[in-house]
Amino acid sequence: MIGVLLGLAYPIPLQVAGYTYFQTVGFLVLLNAMLGVGWNVIGGWAGQFDFGPQVSFAIGAYVAAILFVHLGCNPWLGMLAGVVVAMLVCALVTYPLTRLRGHYFAISTVAVWMIAQPIGATWEFINGSRGLFIPMQTGQGALGALASLQFAGRTKALGYYYVAFALLAVTLVLARLVERGKLGFYFRAIRDDQEGAEGIGIDSRLYKVCARSITAGVFAAGGVLYGFWALAVFPDQVLDLNWSTLPTMATVVGGIGRLWGPVLGAAILIPISQIMSTTLGTGPLAGRGIDLIVYGLVIVVIAALRPTGILSLPWGRWTRRLARRG
Amino acid sequence: MAPLLELHGVTKRFGGLVANKDVSLALEAGEIVGLIGPNGAGKTTLFNCLTGYMHPDEGRIVFGGVDITRARPERVSRLGMARTWQLVRTFGRMTALENVVCGALAHTNRIGVARARALRLLDFTGLASREDVPAATLTLADKKRLEIARALATEPRLLLLDEAMSGLTPTETAAAVDLVRRIHAELGLTLCVVEHVMEVVMPLSGRVVVLDYGEKIAEGTPAEVVRNEQVIKAYLGAHYRGRD
Repeated sequence: MIGVLLGLAYPIPLQVAGYTYFQTVGFLVLLNAMLGVGWNVIGGWAGQFDFGPQVSFAIGAYVAAILFVHLGCNPWLGMLAGVVVAMLVCALVTYPLTRLRGHYFAISTVAVWMIAQPIGATWEFINGSRGLFIPMQTGQGALGALASLQFAGRTKALGYYYVAFALLAVTLVLARLVERGKLGFYFRAIRDDQEGAEGIGIDSRLYKVCARSITAGVFAAGGVLYGFWALAVFPDQVLDLNWSTLPTMATVVGGIGRLWGPVLGAAILIPISQIMSTTLGTGPLAGRGIDLIVYGLVIVVIAALRPTGILSLPWGRWTRRLARRG
Repeated sequence: MAPLLELHGVTKRFGGLVANKDVSLALEAGEIVGLIGPNGAGKTTLFNCLTGYMHPDEGRIVFGGVDITRARPERVSRLGMARTWQLVRTFGRMTALENVVCGALAHTNRIGVARARALRLLDFTGLASREDVPAATLTLADKKRLEIARALATEPRLLLLDEAMSGLTPTETAAAVDLVRRIHAELGLTLCVVEHVMEVVMPLSGRVVVLDYGEKIAEGTPAEVVRNEQVIKAYLGAHYRGRD
């Protein structure tokens, strides 16, 4: 609760002071948190490692961008279309992959991503490697800007921050519904014991496809947001491996299979990388991937000390003990 | 009335090894059938073929009038055949209650309905006090009970128990036998029980089928089977001769 209020209030003093850069860091935290919550569905609950959701991220970005550039379609409608297309493509591609299990399934998701890269770079319909530029068409006033999903000038970082905040909230609510519903039970059953799950009537292939498609939908929505934020969709950018590794790491660090795990993980990891890459600036260590080394260290520490993530620590017991002492 | 389950000449090979050889068998609704045989006789393979985890190379399996020879496990389950495993397959990171809820969701999409049904079954299997415990931390006896509760939650007509009593203490075994009896009497299920402990399977079963090297070598009431020379030689040992 306090975290939500802090999240809502976070960009306001920065706006007053004019430090919009830190709003952008916040935007990236929220975007990656949202992707992490999406990844948690396939990775955390269904227990299948997916290294290819950036394909859905790219599909979302491209669908909305093409609809906007060619047809002038509203970006929010474009987001809806992108989510639907990405989920359908994901379902079609994933069904045959579910013949594979464990590591082999994980590898096959990488293979799908590798196939997607040359398609993105050469398909003329989406401008190949030249990418798509999204023209600025900001709506009038705050509501108009929101409707056009484009924010100009000094309010740009602020606007995208709150849009990402809202999308993360929607994603969390949907993820909670999935977790508490039949799907959540079936996903976790498949994760814990696939044969056991099939023995009580659960079609493991069907539900794996469901889980991965839900993840795909979240990534597609994130991709649309990113495309309009960047005002361009380049294949190498939207298909960047980081769009799956960062949310995955955030989920693992925060607590895999826990609703808020990815949010906590993103709030820890993303600022580390952003602040490191800016403070190192033009120094001798700049651009050498130092942030990745720090990431590696964080992952190693978490994996060694608490592989189930920070949220799995006995916080309830600790706070009660603190309360008794205080 | 046609039998609930019919096997016609079921053969399953693993390379050169014949795990089940021309097994024909019929289970009538309402009976308890014991399936016995030495290690490697093909009992678990037969269960795997019945429940769709493996498919026989030859022969046919008909359950409730439906040919399930090549059906997938989830279809077999939905047709009303449930099973437990020799090595338990509970959902370790879910609580006992959640395990059974998963089974109950086979017939409803509403968590509340499934939950109510799961609570009744935890009570029936004597696990009511353990509902919030993660399945991985239960004792073996409780895990086996939980598997039975989860299987019952799918509302089966036929329940296959694969060594539901092996590895248990005598007290636990007695409780498990009692549970099997109650499943038969109170829920009216047909049961097929794979078991090694003769003292358990003989008084429990109305009929016993003996497998040896994948073949059915005998079939009959417990009293008939223990007097069968071939069974004594293959499995029971000389000390069983002459006992009732």
